[in-house]
Amino acid sequence: MSAFRDRFNRLRGSVGAEAEGAVPAAVEIHTPEQILDGAPAGEAPEAAAPPTSDHAVPEQTALPEWEPYGVRLVRHEAGEFLLKETRFPITHRHGIHAFTEWTAAAPSLAAFHGDELVIGPDPCSADEMQENPPVPHDVLFLDLETTGLGVGAGNVPFMLGISYFEGNEYVVRQSLIRHPAEERAMLADLKDRLPQFRYLVTYNGRTFDWPLVQSRFILNGFGSRVWEPLHLDFLHPSRTIWRNTLVSCKLSRVEEERLGVFRQDDLPGSEAPGRYFAYLADGNPEPLADVFRHNEIDMLSLAALAIRFGHLLAGHIGQEVPVPTEPEELVRTGLWLEKMGAVASAEPLLHSVRGLDHAPPSVWNRLAERDKRLGLWEEAVSLWRKSAAAAEQTGIPSTEAHIELSMYFEHRTKEISFALAYARAALELALQHPLSGRANSKRRKEIDALRHRIDRLVRKAAKS
Amino acid sequence: MNRWTGRASDLDEWLEELKQEPELMDNVTHWHTIPPREARTAPLPEDLDPQLADALRSRGVDELYVHQSLAYRAVREGKHVVAVTPTASGKTMCYNLPVLQSLLENDDGRALYMFPTKALAQDQVAELQKLADLMGAPIKTHTYDGDTPPTVRQAIRNAGHIVVTNPDMLHSAILPHHTKWVKLFENIRYIVIDELHAYRGVFGSHVANVIRRLKRICKFYGSSPQFICASATIDNPQEHAERLIGESVALVNDNGAPMGEKHFVFYNPPVVNEQLGIRRSSVLETRKLAGMLLKQGVQTIVFARSRVRVELLLTYLQELVKDKIGDRTIRGYRGGYLPKLRREIERGLRNGEIRGVVSTNALELGIDIGQLQACVLNGYPGTVASTWQQSGRAGRRQTSSVTFMVASSNPLDQYIIQNPDFFFNRPPERALIHPDNLLILIDHVKCAAYELPFQAGEQFGSETLEDMLEFLVEEKVLHRSGSRWYWMEQSFPAHGISLRSAAQENFIIIDLSEGSRVLGEVDRFSAPTLIHEEAIYIHEGVQYQVEKLDYAEKKAYVREVDVDYYTDANLAVELKVLHADKERVSGEIVRTYGEVTVNAKATIFKKIRLRTHENIGSGPIHLPEEELHTSGYWFAFSEEAAAGKGTNEMQCALLGIANVLVHIAPIYLMCDPLDIRVVPQVKAVHTQRPTIYFYDRYPGGIGLSERLFEVHDELLTRAKRLIQHCTCLSGCPACVGPIEEVGLLGKTQALKLLEEAGAGR
Repeated sequence: MSAFRDRFNRLRGSVGAEAEGAVPAAVEIHTPEQILDGAPAGEAPEAAAPPTSDHAVPEQTALPEWEPYGVRLVRHEAGEFLLKETRFPITHRHGIHAFTEWTAAAPSLAAFHGDELVIGPDPCSADEMQENPPVPHDVLFLDLETTGLGVGAGNVPFMLGISYFEGNEYVVRQSLIRHPAEERAMLADLKDRLPQFRYLVTYNGRTFDWPLVQSRFILNGFGSRVWEPLHLDFLHPSRTIWRNTLVSCKLSRVEEERLGVFRQDDLPGSEAPGRYFAYLADGNPEPLADVFRHNEIDMLSLAALAIRFGHLLAGHIGQEVPVPTEPEELVRTGLWLEKMGAVASAEPLLHSVRGLDHAPPSVWNRLAERDKRLGLWEEAVSLWRKSAAAAEQTGIPSTEAHIELSMYFEHRTKEISFALAYARAALELALQHPLSGRANSKRRKEIDALRHRIDRLVRKAAKS
Repeated sequence: MNRWTGRASDLDEWLEELKQEPELMDNVTHWHTIPPREARTAPLPEDLDPQLADALRSRGVDELYVHQSLAYRAVREGKHVVAVTPTASGKTMCYNLPVLQSLLENDDGRALYMFPTKALAQDQVAELQKLADLMGAPIKTHTYDGDTPPTVRQAIRNAGHIVVTNPDMLHSAILPHHTKWVKLFENIRYIVIDELHAYRGVFGSHVANVIRRLKRICKFYGSSPQFICASATIDNPQEHAERLIGESVALVNDNGAPMGEKHFVFYNPPVVNEQLGIRRSSVLETRKLAGMLLKQGVQTIVFARSRVRVELLLTYLQELVKDKIGDRTIRGYRGGYLPKLRREIERGLRNGEIRGVVSTNALELGIDIGQLQACVLNGYPGTVASTWQQSGRAGRRQTSSVTFMVASSNPLDQYIIQNPDFFFNRPPERALIHPDNLLILIDHVKCAAYELPFQAGEQFGSETLEDMLEFLVEEKVLHRSGSRWYWMEQSFPAHGISLRSAAQENFIIIDLSEGSRVLGEVDRFSAPTLIHEEAIYIHEGVQYQVEKLDYAEKKAYVREVDVDYYTDANLAVELKVLHADKERVSGEIVRTYGEVTVNAKATIFKKIRLRTHENIGSGPIHLPEEELHTSGYWFAFSEEAAAGKGTNEMQCALLGIANVLVHIAPIYLMCDPLDIRVVPQVKAVHTQRPTIYFYDRYPGGIGLSERLFEVHDELLTRAKRLIQHCTCLSGCPACVGPIEEVGLLGKTQALKLLEEAGAGR
């Protein structure tokens, strides 16, 4: 063995590195596999598994070293893994929302159709969703902790958090594998549970958690079509609404700013793999306690976020959900609701945007774009005027409204002189900004395009 | 001859006229004529789907060439196959036919095609889709590479019958995400590997490991695909295919394609300085020959060995024919041209609008440019295999074609040009790979573990797998659970491993002249001599000075300069023999193959004035020593052979021999000349005798020195003959090296030493 290391290091030309990688001989190390009843690692489960019927609830046993963390051993017919199950009463409050609100909020999540929001295996899923809106008990929440990034075959979910509403409780089930060979049992247990749910709720699970679970099912021989849920992923709508208002759209940020949840001493998600590797190396469960807690908060926040979006779609703004104070968020929420088909909920928000005295140009532009699309030219022009005025007063180099107005006067009312005036004002605005220098190629293009426009308008004006 | 235009009526007539011109014929050392060859055909296979047969007939294919028919039959019998035929012999049909037939029989089947470059993949897809469309069959062919838009990737993964990709994509995108490709891997029937000869050396060794991983994944999904390989002519196609895919293969090499008469003309530029052995520039001679051909209206391809030469020749040729034909009819083609421009040039060549093209070996690979009539090689392309491939670009099925090879003054060119028999009677080079090079192997063991856990008893390469896995456990990369080893690290291993670069950790060169842009890269072992601080680095004919070398970050910062000197660094090389594996004696020479370490340290650099070559200054280089552990081969002269020779004389003799050897060694190897190094030592530490060392310039070795050890006698015989037959008086760049380097007597001393040692025959 060390002969191999020698050869390897010689080739690498790194003789000095030899001592570093070596395992210190004095420290006795128990890997999790060894601690397991002294049984040969990875091979024990089958022999130990008691005969169970199809619907049997897997047997749970206490393990002394895990007892303090509320974690117990599960014996599934496919093998063993660990489980921490926490039941929160429905009256539990997580930030500003209480879980009792779920019953009122869940059904309106049916508005989540539109191709880009539902990972449906077939196009009729949207209809299906409309006809069978989520009922409180058929939604599964999911969040993984993994050993790496991405959805490659070598990224292992070592902790799998699921949760759901059951009776008068919100149940959080966090499975943990003591070593990679236990993954199969953990997934088998998940597979047993999936059929009772129709909806899957995640945060960034469209590109990460769910594809990864599917990949793990394939790798462990369960096939590629284990469960085909109606997917509700909240990352995309969160970005749509909060992109310009929050520093980032990470779940922890959204929680803090909008759900009233403040995490204390929370383990950053990026440190979770390191904790797990530490545990794998010596079998001491302690470093994982923080991971359990981090994941648990994620699971709770996921439910709170679902409640939030349900309320929004149901038109509960101003009641269970505060009215957004920032104009940007107000307009984005209104436009999102309209896009989701919740026109009644959207209308009052958009109306209040129009009533604002001051707002950044981007707010007016966003709403004007919508009015233009609907052919509401008068409204659009009035918004562009507000936007143009705001840009000129604040010096924000936003020329969008000027250009829209220029186009409007050129093509719709044929008032070339107005069109020219707005184009010139736009150029002035673009040039006066300190970042208008040559370095910024996007700006440069914009300025060139404006000059081009002005030239054209001048020629046109001369002709008529 | 047409009196008015000065043009010959056809190529044959022009060649006859050429033979009457003594001025030119004096430089022709050999005129080889390959007689025309009739097509040998076989009927379309009886079991061929009528749809497919009709589609072929509608394209004018009523029967197959024998090699196509043989390949089809071998594949249908369930064998792995390698088909070896020259350029333009309808090679692609060897695999497309059985694959399409199989897809018509079973719509669920899948095939994976692998090409070394993206451009080749795109050509293939067009070709396959044309056939599928003719059949009206719903067979979907797609490329899957870095250019594939993310939006269509998912559709390709699920629905593509034939996925066309490259080894890099397989390595870093497809295999690590195999669970997204369930449909492909569950149903894969064929893996097609074209341009097999391109997978050699370090790159080939990596690719062999990628294929090991690919097979492992197929096995996981319960499939065991058949391999269909195609290669240009090399000496060992069957062995090479077997090493690359790890299976025994059936060889199909009975070429049945027709070929018109082919003239192969060896042209040696005239000597302009007898004493110094200096010949007229091969670039100017190439210009002359290509210019004559183009003026005759003969569609011509010119191959040059470097990008700079391509541009130079292009400029010359465009000038030369400016008045005769339109400007856009003569084009360049090389790496660095954008794909769109390349497609345009390829199209122009196919439809005849472009009459002449000057290319690097980028056009040597099977890109479809139709068949041209004449080919001019500026310099020997380096290998017999390449030469035939490049020459194959000119050659039509019905009419005659001609290839001129214009020798440069380097020893290998001079050897080939003066020994035409050697070229024509010799099989092309062997493609060598060494997939079990420890460093390469362990990289792929990591990738493979990422893709699927390893299980006790599994095989991966010839090394003991369990030792490697346990090593990776200690390195905290893998975790062992019972009899399985799992990837347990945060990183994505394929991202850190490039299949193409020789040594992984290349230095990048950043030009600060205008903003900062990456100019190029240099491998780790060349860095100390090429990009030390104050070095003049030349890129595309422009001089840059290295301002800062960040050795830890592997970056060199350069700025454009205009100076009248270049720099040359001294490298102190220390060679240690670790282990001798094989030893043989012939004559007064003992040769050995084994493991060596090479310690190289750049010491000083000299500033040398351009043109006059006078030394105008120097400076120290402060860089750490580089250590390379690799395989090597060395031979030592006996005391008798060395007797009576002073140190100085021995030094010159050894240096002279080494200079010749380093140039002709590639005759036996299909490698870049820089992949192998030669070091002469008057009194080597290990042998205590005058010794010449060769070593592979890649950690762990890639089989080059071992091959040279085997052909040692032949190698020295050729070296001796080359020196004997060189027309120079006392050493020139075409043999032992210039007098400035080996001294006035270098040539005779080198020859004397070889003779007294009884080297070669």
